Amino acid sequence: MPADGDGQAADGDGRPPDDQPATGPDRPPQPINRRALFGIFFKAGLAFGGGLGILAVLEQELVTRRRAVDREEFLRLYGLGRIVPSGTMTALAVAYGYRFAGLPGTVISLAALVLPALVLTVALTAVYGLLHRQAWLPQLLPVTILPAALAFIVVAGVRLGREVFRPSRELLLAAAAFAGAAVLHLSPVLLLLAGGVAGTVLFRPKEDQA
Amino acid sequence: MSLLELCAVVFIYNAMTFGNGPGMVPLLQADLVDRRGVLSTDQLLYAFTIARVTPGQANTYVAAIGYMLHGLAGALATTAAIQLPGYLMLPLLWGYQRLGAVRLVPAFTRGLTVASVGLIFAATVSIGRSTLTGWVSVVVFAAALAMAQLLKWNPLVVLAVSALLGTGAWVLGWA
Repeated sequence: MPADGDGQAADGDGRPPDDQPATGPDRPPQPINRRALFGIFFKAGLAFGGGLGILAVLEQELVTRRRAVDREEFLRLYGLGRIVPSGTMTALAVAYGYRFAGLPGTVISLAALVLPALVLTVALTAVYGLLHRQAWLPQLLPVTILPAALAFIVVAGVRLGREVFRPSRELLLAAAAFAGAAVLHLSPVLLLLAGGVAGTVLFRPKEDQA
Repeated sequence: MSLLELCAVVFIYNAMTFGNGPGMVPLLQADLVDRRGVLSTDQLLYAFTIARVTPGQANTYVAAIGYMLHGLAGALATTAAIQLPGYLMLPLLWGYQRLGAVRLVPAFTRGLTVASVGLIFAATVSIGRSTLTGWVSVVVFAAALAMAQLLKWNPLVVLAVSALLGTGAWVLGWA
């Protein structure tokens, strides 16, 4: 990593938004080859904090430090990535991989992004497999990791629904889905699709409703 | 359940949900735990916890499920399966200028995400019923929730403190 990385990052953040990052006066944008692509996404894959943690690393590397992407385009791609199902960061890895190195680039960026999590996940699951048969584990799990896991799911649900928990049509729809699953025991797949269809009616752009 | 079936299930559920990870929990619970019985609730929760304490994307916990059911091949195949929907980004980029026709997509997505929030809480209730069996687990759950939601502590710290609390209670013979 170049020694100037931190200094550039610090002064890059202070620039006025109307500055032209891609044609900055003192430094040309750095081209991104396959190796740099792998490095950037591997570093992003090591970030804690889920999607936003990864996004912060990408912003730092692609926009601030290397000036390979300007801020406006970075935000536009992020907005597009959010409407792609599954992970937004997966979508961004595909977009940047393709942009800098074509289809092979998408494989490079995706592999680099998932590698750290994949290795650690497999290792920790293997530990579970090894301890699984110990007599004390089934007694210990229900009072340690499992209640904590349930709390993590609640927190994730709250975070996903930040805008839902206030009097709104969103709250009604979420409550309906909750009731459909918890009380009526309807299929979650069915409820999700019904939620999407209801969304096209409830949340369509204003000008379309006129 | 064959590896191909598992990948298909993971691919479809992942492609149906937004928000990277938690949205899939109710779907996987209904399918793999309740309907097919190939995974226990404990295994699903353990997998989800791993995702919270490892870096990177939260949806990598399907690799843990893949590993539990089909070993290393399962982990790699399920990981690949959840990357595929990302390729929808390419046609989106190409057609970005002509998105007028699919203006309803964000509204559909929003409805789906909102419904998924309701489903996550429904899954929490049903998982909670089978998991929080004694008062110690209820106390540890409440403590973990307070640490993660109110105090915004790092998940690793939350997990460590929860494990200490529960282990302490177990050693004392309360659990």
